[in-house]
Amino acid sequence: MKKSIRRSALVVCAAASALGLAAVPSSAVPSTVWTVSPSPAAFKAVNVGNIVLTATIPMTCTTSTAAGTMASTTGNPGDVADITTMNFGSSTSPCTSVLGNVTTTSVTPWDVVALDYTASTGVTKGYVGNVKANVTAGACKFTVTGKASGTYTNSTGILAINSTSGELTVTNPVNCGAVVTTATKPTFKGNYAVTVASTGAIPTIVGSNP
Amino acid sequence: MKAKPAAAPRAPRARVRTTSIAAFVVLAALVPTTASASGTQEIEAELPYVCTLPSGPLPATVRLSADFPGRAAAGEAFTPSDVTTTVELPAQAVADLTARGAAEVRAATRLAVGVAQNSATATATWRGSAEPDALPASGPLTLIARGDVPSVAGRGDGDLTFSAGALAIDLALGAADPATADPGSLTVDCALAEDAPEQGLLATVPVGTGEPAPSGSPSSPGPVETSGAPDDAQQDRPGDREPERQSDRSPKVLENTPGAAADRDEVPPCRYDEQHPPTDVSLNAYVTGYANVKKMKGAAYLPPSCVLIEQGLPAPGPADPEYLIFDTVSYGNFHYREREQTPPFEATFLSFDFAPVKATMVLEQTGPLRIDSRMKMRLSDFTTITDTYVRAPLIVRVLDLEVNGTRLEVGSQCRTETSLTSEDPDPANFPGDHLVLYGRGEQIIGLPATGYLLLSGGVLSGETAIPAFTGCGTDGEDLDRLLTASVSGPGNHIKQVQGQTCAIAAPVFPSPENEGQCTEDLQPYEIPVAER
Repeated sequence: MKKSIRRSALVVCAAASALGLAAVPSSAVPSTVWTVSPSPAAFKAVNVGNIVLTATIPMTCTTSTAAGTMASTTGNPGDVADITTMNFGSSTSPCTSVLGNVTTTSVTPWDVVALDYTASTGVTKGYVGNVKANVTAGACKFTVTGKASGTYTNSTGILAINSTSGELTVTNPVNCGAVVTTATKPTFKGNYAVTVASTGAIPTIVGSNP
Repeated sequence: MKAKPAAAPRAPRARVRTTSIAAFVVLAALVPTTASASGTQEIEAELPYVCTLPSGPLPATVRLSADFPGRAAAGEAFTPSDVTTTVELPAQAVADLTARGAAEVRAATRLAVGVAQNSATATATWRGSAEPDALPASGPLTLIARGDVPSVAGRGDGDLTFSAGALAIDLALGAADPATADPGSLTVDCALAEDAPEQGLLATVPVGTGEPAPSGSPSSPGPVETSGAPDDAQQDRPGDREPERQSDRSPKVLENTPGAAADRDEVPPCRYDEQHPPTDVSLNAYVTGYANVKKMKGAAYLPPSCVLIEQGLPAPGPADPEYLIFDTVSYGNFHYREREQTPPFEATFLSFDFAPVKATMVLEQTGPLRIDSRMKMRLSDFTTITDTYVRAPLIVRVLDLEVNGTRLEVGSQCRTETSLTSEDPDPANFPGDHLVLYGRGEQIIGLPATGYLLLSGGVLSGETAIPAFTGCGTDGEDLDRLLTASVSGPGNHIKQVQGQTCAIAAPVFPSPENEGQCTEDLQPYEIPVAER
């Protein structure tokens, strides 16, 4: 094994494996009509469990929140929601890594894009797109852009984000040395409980092909 | 939910200690390492909590046991000991974790303990960790966590109260079959239930009861007293010695103690300026702590001191089949009135048949501080550890000296012959005299990072030998021997707390979203508090 030159690739693969990639149910079908209930409506989302970001090394956020608007739409891919606020960490619980505390400033809006729907389970498969976030840890700064695959489950209201290696990329790394470079493939994993902002109810997304 | 009275002290258990060597004049700049033995109150409290699990809020029971002193003197630091936090989560919590595919759980607890004295309040975090345990097939989940907790000192007279507050439980989950499930990790936040007795009061320690500790009062060694040093045996008795209660190398976090947090007005400024222009990797931070003077059986308090740091860039470390390694070399300088030194600090000890000796000193650099950090990520489970060594060539310069109230002229050249020295773990690459301090940071994937990290701070500790003094005294009066005889020698424990750094080129200001790292004028936002 050529360890020295293959380490980065090994880490990325291992990370993807450790984070558990969501399998696509065999009955998932691409849909062209997306019915969001209620629509249009404001939503908010709060993390359930810790959020794990990696950029070669892992970072943990015990607090993360999001908010935005959602609406029914047509087409595939279908943009069913815009995330207008995306916070990682808070004033009392910063995101941490072994580099030190990590500050992430999201550049919104991000999109929630639907691709496939499984009627039997009520699970929509898609991704969070238009991701852009500026990350700092001390003097080390970089920008993460791209998308992050995930699923939304109507029965639980959980948006489960499980990005795969290569979906997110690093640009403009400054003062990060060998830890974060343009070759780094960041990942984003975590679950969010989504509710309708006005009622606290769990919204649903249903895909169909009329 | 059944709840016992919050704080039910059992009969005080007097600690039998007979040592009586050292007594100390307690000034603001000196906290003795001994604590007067006035009995121990053993606390057992059972408190109702509400914990937020994935399925929603669930009732939980938290039991806390700890030993507190029966009484403490004003300014006297003490550490609650034998702290055990037992959390009982209902069966539904087990179902929540099982639903994620978990079969095993490894827990760490973070309990916010409110400390109050008169109108002063502060919050300490009591951390505990539990052994990995299998999830029960049925019934509740009981987690038993133990750990060291920060010491506390009440500055003035009045009852010091300790109350349990918010509890966070970090759960690292293990799957029965890692190949098919990845239960990950989560942090469960718990709040004290509204019906908790006495708002979670755990203990009350009277401070300053009007009984000054006599010079010969029974005492116990402080938490940073080192044991087994070969020197100054004539001053030691067996009863003086006790193993360190706290590992030098255990990860620690900053904690506040009531009344001890310095106001910004009380600390020297920590800013880059025209003489010291910042670069795009410049950081600044405060550091403060204690340095034991073993011969004196006392500890000198180093007030918050400014350090300017140039953050290094991580470079690939040595190839290793099991770890991904990065090495970073950073450099720093103390910064006080354009000099590379600490602010002056006073230490008062009793020596020479209990004649009080008061010295005003600074630590002065003879070269840059070098900070070596090695980050190792284990490829099998992504556990990452960062070990940091700070190497500091520092002489002790004595500015002023009083013995028994009489000022002795030390002159302008009174200092140690060489730098403070430590045993270097890598003497071949780091020759020469310097102090070595060590800190470790650690992160299990999915859980918050803990311990010392250069950027976010934490506890650095080490041991040093104080060299002989030279150039002390004027007009033919040689004070070198007096200082050397009473102060110089090996085995002096040092514990310093570094605060969060401010990155000048990427400042993070306090906001609802972010913990503050920099003030508006780019000074370190955090002023750390010394720990014992």
